[in-house]
Amino acid sequence: MNYHILMKDELDSFINKLSKKMKVCAPVAKGHNNFAFEEVTSAAEISMEYIPTILPPKKYFMPPREKMLDFSLADGKPEDTASLDAEKLAVFAVHTCDLAGIQCLNMVFSEKPRDYNYLLRKENIFIIGLECNKYCDSNASCALVGNHYPNGGYDLFFTDIGDKYVIHVNTQKGEDLVESMGLAKTSSADMAALDRVREGKKHAFQNEIGVDPKALPGIFAKGVESKVWHDVGGRCVSCGNCTNVCPTCYCFDMADTINLDLKTGFRTRTWDSCQFETFATVAGGENFREERANRQRHRFYRKFKYPLDKFYRSFCTGCGRCTRTCMAKINLKDTLKALAAEHK
Amino acid sequence: MKTAKKTVKTPAKAPKAAAKPKVAFFDFACCEGCQLQITNFGELLLDVLGAVDVVEFREAISEKWDGEYDVVFIEGSIGDHHAEERLKKIRARAKVLIAYGSCATTGGVNGMKNSFELDEIRQSVYGKDYKLFDSTYTKRVDQVVKVDYYINGCPIYIPELVEVLKHALRGLPYTVPDNPVCAECKLNENVCMYERGLACLGPWTKAGCNSWCVNNGNICYGCRGEVSNPAKNAGDVISKYNLKPELIKAKFDMYNKCKEGVK
Repeated sequence: MNYHILMKDELDSFINKLSKKMKVCAPVAKGHNNFAFEEVTSAAEISMEYIPTILPPKKYFMPPREKMLDFSLADGKPEDTASLDAEKLAVFAVHTCDLAGIQCLNMVFSEKPRDYNYLLRKENIFIIGLECNKYCDSNASCALVGNHYPNGGYDLFFTDIGDKYVIHVNTQKGEDLVESMGLAKTSSADMAALDRVREGKKHAFQNEIGVDPKALPGIFAKGVESKVWHDVGGRCVSCGNCTNVCPTCYCFDMADTINLDLKTGFRTRTWDSCQFETFATVAGGENFREERANRQRHRFYRKFKYPLDKFYRSFCTGCGRCTRTCMAKINLKDTLKALAAEHK
Repeated sequence: MKTAKKTVKTPAKAPKAAAKPKVAFFDFACCEGCQLQITNFGELLLDVLGAVDVVEFREAISEKWDGEYDVVFIEGSIGDHHAEERLKKIRARAKVLIAYGSCATTGGVNGMKNSFELDEIRQSVYGKDYKLFDSTYTKRVDQVVKVDYYINGCPIYIPELVEVLKHALRGLPYTVPDNPVCAECKLNENVCMYERGLACLGPWTKAGCNSWCVNNGNICYGCRGEVSNPAKNAGDVISKYNLKPELIKAKFDMYNKCKEGVK
């Protein structure tokens, strides 16, 4: 374990130096208590205190719209050339919920058949985490899923201990960067301060729904026919906001676009959403998740049931984005509580 | 994934010095703003003109064409008997008909006419001699003739027009997206208009415009028409943001009156 420190008044110089090495993206205030990861070159542009951004950092790992290949139909047999746009960048001040989200996506896209676009792009992204010493707001449920503490998934990790940040170095890439910036190692006093922050969080963060997370898979196993899904489905707008902002939703749609010469073209993939009417519609017009209740239920099961069976971890990171963005007040914590209450 | 250039040439399929598809543009009751959008294509216009032969386009050229059209673009809604007849004649000469712009595809702002008694509205527009002026309730193009392709929007979104044109030239069907505008807006990471305290019609309006208006700081006015299965309990949306349901309804009336049908 290797810990370094960065004085807060040196943050600007840190960002500045980093931005000379690679593009740096960090949370930026967009007004109306909204934030977004955007390119920065100075600390002044960054909101170190922010509620989860509109889109999670997954947008850098799997862009909302991504070109997969160029093709040509000009010479009889179709030809194609793979396309990859993966610039070197650092994502700075990633909360622990979003680090967990990236870990989930890593698992999904490492499965065979591997998603090389994702995996190659990931290699070019340097991740710097930032600890939350208190809740961002009441929509978060990170303690429920144990994501209020860092669980890896970063190169460097910042914790605010007052007038400085303690930086945990987690990878060789991280070590090289810290060395190149000449950052001092932590003193025992710094480590004691870090302990105090972590100790304080034990009280500040509590299971947000009062239900043992270990009981959730069982509750979901029994909850398939619950009326909770009808309540939620009755409100749903099917706008897809909840899945687009989710750090672990990864469904996409593929489409070919032909150029005006009508001979060459390209293939793109775009984020899709299981909440859309068209998502589960198949040839012949049959839609096997026609009701909004079914679609919302599917979303919850894709967070709290199926990935536990497959990857042994929750795919809800507790970031609270789906609740914040829902126009129809569908609240993740309330939905879980209502479902759990049915099986008391 | 093959990257090597193919060397074996298949026998060339006599690339006919084929005449490019004959394309014509016609306007009915509208502001002709969609035609203007096309002239504003910029460089893309040259690419489009490389693929087609524009034979009629009132806003940009004075030539006329008396043969068959491969593709016709119809702008505007249908508001009198003369227009109905003219549209039917155009349809009879066209292999493919594309309705473009809100007026043509959904009735657009002209649909507001349908909120009134016809004689009342005629009198208000033409005065006491209103009976001399033919006028009917507003119809969408597909209420008069068969439409093969739709390009919704006021004005049309140029990238979508190009997509539809390519589909038409290849004889492939094009489906207007049936998701709400939010679906694209969120991908563009806009701050939600509701968060800004503004009532936006994005949650009920068909996507496909890449949330053009919201990207540029405006609300969605619903110009692409309502999704086919809109949220039933809009009240939940409105209550979260302390807005009156009548406000949303009134905003929808601007572009969506025609969908209630012709009286």
